[in-house]
Amino acid sequence: MYNRSFILLIVAIGCYLLTLSASAAYPQLKFSVADIKSPVFQTGSIEVRIDTSQSGARELAIDIEEIAVQDYALKDIRVLCRAFQWNRHEIQCTNGQLIAGDIFASALPMQFVATRSHLTVDLRPPGGEHWQFSIEWDAELWHAALTVKAGKMTHFARWLPEMLDHESFPTLTGGKLHGKIKVSGDLKGVTSAGIDLSIDALAFSDAAGMHAGEDITLSVKSNIEHDSRREHWKWRGDILWRQGAVFWQPLFFSGTDHALNVQGVFDGKTLAVHDSHLALAEIGTVKFSGVADWPDARMREFQLDAGNMALSALFDQVLKPFLADTVFAELEISGLADFAVLIQEGVLQEINLALEDVNIIDQRDRFAFHRIQAHIPWQAANTTIADISLLDGHVLRIPLGAVRVPLEIKNSHLYVPQLALPVLDGVLKLEDFSAAHTDTGWRWEFGGKLTPVSMEALTEALQIQPMHGILSAYIPRVHYDGESVSVDGVLQINVFDGSVVIHQLKLIEPMGLTPHLTADIAMRNLDLGLLTSAFSFGKVEGRVDIDVSQLELANWKPIHFDAHMFSSPGSYTRRISQAAIRNISALGGEGAVVAIQRSFLRFFEEFRYAEIGWRCALRFNVCYMGGIEPEPGSRYTLIKGGGIPAINVMGYNRDVGWQELISRLQRVTQENEPVIQ
Amino acid sequence: MVNRFYNVLLFMALALAPLAGQAEANLEVNTPAIASLKQSMQSRHAQLVEHYNSGAVGLTRDGMVAMRDANAVPLAQRQAVNALVSAENQDRTALYREIARANNHPEWESKIRATFGQRWVNLARSGWWYQTDGNAWKQK
Repeated sequence: MYNRSFILLIVAIGCYLLTLSASAAYPQLKFSVADIKSPVFQTGSIEVRIDTSQSGARELAIDIEEIAVQDYALKDIRVLCRAFQWNRHEIQCTNGQLIAGDIFASALPMQFVATRSHLTVDLRPPGGEHWQFSIEWDAELWHAALTVKAGKMTHFARWLPEMLDHESFPTLTGGKLHGKIKVSGDLKGVTSAGIDLSIDALAFSDAAGMHAGEDITLSVKSNIEHDSRREHWKWRGDILWRQGAVFWQPLFFSGTDHALNVQGVFDGKTLAVHDSHLALAEIGTVKFSGVADWPDARMREFQLDAGNMALSALFDQVLKPFLADTVFAELEISGLADFAVLIQEGVLQEINLALEDVNIIDQRDRFAFHRIQAHIPWQAANTTIADISLLDGHVLRIPLGAVRVPLEIKNSHLYVPQLALPVLDGVLKLEDFSAAHTDTGWRWEFGGKLTPVSMEALTEALQIQPMHGILSAYIPRVHYDGESVSVDGVLQINVFDGSVVIHQLKLIEPMGLTPHLTADIAMRNLDLGLLTSAFSFGKVEGRVDIDVSQLELANWKPIHFDAHMFSSPGSYTRRISQAAIRNISALGGEGAVVAIQRSFLRFFEEFRYAEIGWRCALRFNVCYMGGIEPEPGSRYTLIKGGGIPAINVMGYNRDVGWQELISRLQRVTQENEPVIQ
Repeated sequence: MVNRFYNVLLFMALALAPLAGQAEANLEVNTPAIASLKQSMQSRHAQLVEHYNSGAVGLTRDGMVAMRDANAVPLAQRQAVNALVSAENQDRTALYREIARANNHPEWESKIRATFGQRWVNLARSGWWYQTDGNAWKQK
């Protein structure tokens, strides 16, 4: 309809001027059109004026108050033509000017030719630009085209934020447009349109530089055609990203030869997208289709299907920037993934994710999982079973073996009834693992047990002092509340032929930068022979109990505890070697060694003892030490002799820096068995 | 040279006047976690200093850093600098929390953060940008 109005206006002007050519000269001729309204565009008042000078020269002036396309308006447009000719067939302006301050800062040289069936307007702004608009029509059909050569994109800089309804949208700072836009129609309106444009050196940026693009080269091809028989529009768009870079916080997009191809139909009420795809170089191709209601854009159905996506590039370029503040920010992921998504009536219905030979490695070496194969289906309405397998990996340096996880998924709840995870030479059996995603993040819980693991293997894996014996554990319910891992009840461990019971175990921010662990630990009946042989400490026979209360580790290192080691009650052999006495003395003072060296005791390799005791309260990196009993003064008893030969070992240093104490222990345990000379 | 400067900066930030309103707080407290965070921040400082100098990154009122003018960074490097800022802020958040915990007063974290915010600004080099009380950016 609006096209008809526009054409009628052009025809009216043309006819009027052609008629004028045959009539007598007038000093001034003027006529006005109040306004033209259509569903797509509107014009304010249009005034056409011809002034005739005394010399007979005529000047044509056309003033248009406003041209508005939807919410965007160009105001005060003026066409001046100081040299124009007309006859019965044609009006020709060879030296005109277009003044449109909203787009062009200065008046532009302009030419136009109009006939009864054709209009061509040429604009040649400085800098080699050429914009040509042409339209031809007959009684039923019309065809319009805009051809651009080296057109500056910056002409539209002011319009873009308004068009996208976003005031802080980046400003166009560069770019040249080449190509053609064609529109055809009949008296009822547009029947087809096509775009074939290329854009090069496109650049844009917002004030802060957080949304910016540089040196972008694109080609855009699109066409839309009305199918009168089916009463819908058939459309297609192809965008080829040839080169360039965009930083759109937090994403950085670059590379060459990315392509978007979309096509579908539109019937005025429904927008359908068919067989479309987005091909991202180095990542893979995503196919998609869907149907949305128009104009409220309500998604009725959407399907997305991607196969053989390269996870390494997908994670680094697309996912990782959004995970900057999480533990996943420092992951390296490789392998292939397929995924499919189905949305119906605006609601996510299905996701299918398949992983092939995927490796997930934490760059801080906190964990790694290798050769993951997975098929993970998810359905909104049904419970599904995922099959996930892992060849090997490690968590906090502890190696994990191959495992297959049968995962039940129901909405945002996950459940594994039983899982046997090989850990070193033992097995960690998890039971009733359940996890759920809530408003505050993921929460999970499980129970289980650890079947015997050799301490040799465990200490080797943890890269700490080798120890002997086995480690096994009963794990009560363990749960994670989004911030901390806590144990309901007590964790029981068997090690050094004794038992360890851990109460109040809590791990705060386990994958954070500074995980904290708090616990109270009661160790009972530990075999000192096994314990001291692990540390090359010198031979000690006997058994000890150790209480560690209010233990706190930060970043896996102790910052606070009250420790008390004492001989276990009961009857057992209690002997200690000279070497062990020397090493204990090295920790608490040299008195005992001096006593041995100065007396006949140096002839004995071993001594009997009645009790061993040691206390340490760790506060602000200082260990405040004591012995078997709380004693005033600077001395305290570490070993109380019993039987023959017997010896008492005293400690003299009450306060020792924790690092100094550790260094002394390391020196003692790294050296061979010391020899009393 | 950069690391030496950063050591001085960090030491002074930790050692200057007592925490405002919490005279008993020990900002010099050292734990393995704090030592690890300081080491991480120190090694990152060498990368951040050029962006402080260029004005791309500024110091915020709350003891953090922020991308102030990304235009000062080549487009291809903006994501990396953004990640650097994010990592630095993670370390700073953890540092303030650890100092509060080491003082046995986790509830002091926000005041420790505010105190550090002021100290980082006081110790900033001439030409660096910082956020004023009105959240405007000002060059020192």
